[in-house]
Amino acid sequence: MTTVNAVLASTRAELLRLRKWPALWVMTGAWLLLNVMFVYVFNYLSYTTGSTTPRGEGIPKEALLAEMLPAAAPISAVQGLPMFGGAIMMILGALAIGSGYGWGTWKTVFTQGPSRLATTAGSLVALVLAIVAIVALTFVLDLGLSTLVAATESQTIVWPGLGDIAPALGGGVLIASMWMLGGALIGTLAKGPALGVGLGLVWVLAVENLLRGVANLLGGMDVVTDHLPGTAAGSLAGGLGAGGGTDGTPGVFTTLDTASASWLLVAYLVVFAGITAVVVRRRDLA
Amino acid sequence: MVNNSTVDAAIHTEDLRVERGGRAVLRGLSFDVPRGQVTGLLGPSGCGKSTLMRAIVGVQARCTGVVEVLGQSAGSAALRHRVGYVTQAPSVYPDLSIRQNLRFFAAVLGADQGDVDDAIAKVDLVDYADDLVSRLSGGQEARVSLAVALLGEPELLVLDEPTVGLDPVLRRDLWALFHRLADSGVTVLVSSHVMDEADRCERLLLMRDGVIIADDTPQLLRSSTGADDIEGAFLTLVDLDREASR
Repeated sequence: MTTVNAVLASTRAELLRLRKWPALWVMTGAWLLLNVMFVYVFNYLSYTTGSTTPRGEGIPKEALLAEMLPAAAPISAVQGLPMFGGAIMMILGALAIGSGYGWGTWKTVFTQGPSRLATTAGSLVALVLAIVAIVALTFVLDLGLSTLVAATESQTIVWPGLGDIAPALGGGVLIASMWMLGGALIGTLAKGPALGVGLGLVWVLAVENLLRGVANLLGGMDVVTDHLPGTAAGSLAGGLGAGGGTDGTPGVFTTLDTASASWLLVAYLVVFAGITAVVVRRRDLA
Repeated sequence: MVNNSTVDAAIHTEDLRVERGGRAVLRGLSFDVPRGQVTGLLGPSGCGKSTLMRAIVGVQARCTGVVEVLGQSAGSAALRHRVGYVTQAPSVYPDLSIRQNLRFFAAVLGADQGDVDDAIAKVDLVDYADDLVSRLSGGQEARVSLAVALLGEPELLVLDEPTVGLDPVLRRDLWALFHRLADSGVTVLVSSHVMDEADRCERLLLMRDGVIIADDTPQLLRSSTGADDIEGAFLTLVDLDREASR
């Protein structure tokens, strides 16, 4: 079996496994539920009742409605990925790769299957493809809900153009893949999902925010905090049009420009995948 | 470099040593395992059986000496599709069904998907094929791992305590399967700490404290030690070794 065929075989196998893997569907469901609740349910309740949204006060009703219309669906589908969605994708990566050590399945694959690098690459490619499907599914769901909102509120339906959809969904895949690969790396280093999930969640939801708080007090820390994975992910979402700041979506920033944020995410993606490959290749299985 | 004199052996080791945590786990093992036979690797828990099996499949670190498998260095890429390995703990996905697990491993290993049902039938799990592995008993889980090892028709099966915890009927059936596989040309190396299983093997490697203390057929081991059974032969060999070392 050539290396390319081995990677393809491993990708096919991992896709087969992921389709039947309850954890993937649970996490996909959790992400979709969060997306629907925060983008549509809470905003729509706030719009119709005039009450405060979970994001804060002072958002004009027109702005709230605009965020729920079809033209905003591409960015609605990805604006939660830098923080909450990222945490879920990190859990996905840690579970998908780390669990194989606990269950002993990597040992079986590495002793009987193609090379370690080919099988690991196949698994990571399959996970990225799963993320493509999750982001696309989120967009389709958001487009459907936003159309419903537009019809209910008698608004003219303006469909998003391909020029809006492609960069938004592409950016979403990049952000989610970076977090997933971060989870896969921690799952590999820890040889199990539990530590990976715990550390990942603490990092995404707490440590980066704490570091940004410290950076506000200490000069010179900005150089570090401006280039953290979460900052890059949030800046890309912000650059694509997601609303950040105190009244905006948590985890969305305007710290870096879109190009810099994209390249930084690609760099993290390559580094996470590269370290995972080196560790898998060199480490003793016994 | 492959030694031509050992090409006929499925497994050939010379002065195999493994150290872990500063302690010698395997202490200079040299033996051959003939092709197409069921060879038992018997010894008490902790004597180094699993470490030896890991060295044979090429996943044991800090390993010195020679380990050749099917004429190649242990762990070489060319051997991956020729060797099936079942670890002591079941190594399958608990949240997938038996059939889904086997389809996954068949896809990774490049085995024919048609082999999936054959492998399930060989380990007598047809009635449970669509059950989640997490709902199976420990013995059934072990058989799922064995079914995975049977995919792709390996030439050598390395099975680490595959019959532990199984009821007598299943153990008998599994041993019958091992012999059918051996009759078809597969070399089967089975470890066990249960001496009663020795008589089911065509050849035995008795192991204690990281050393092979006997390498022979069950019949010749009994006759050479004058013991009634293999446990008696094992104890006789241990006593002789102690006396020799005094």
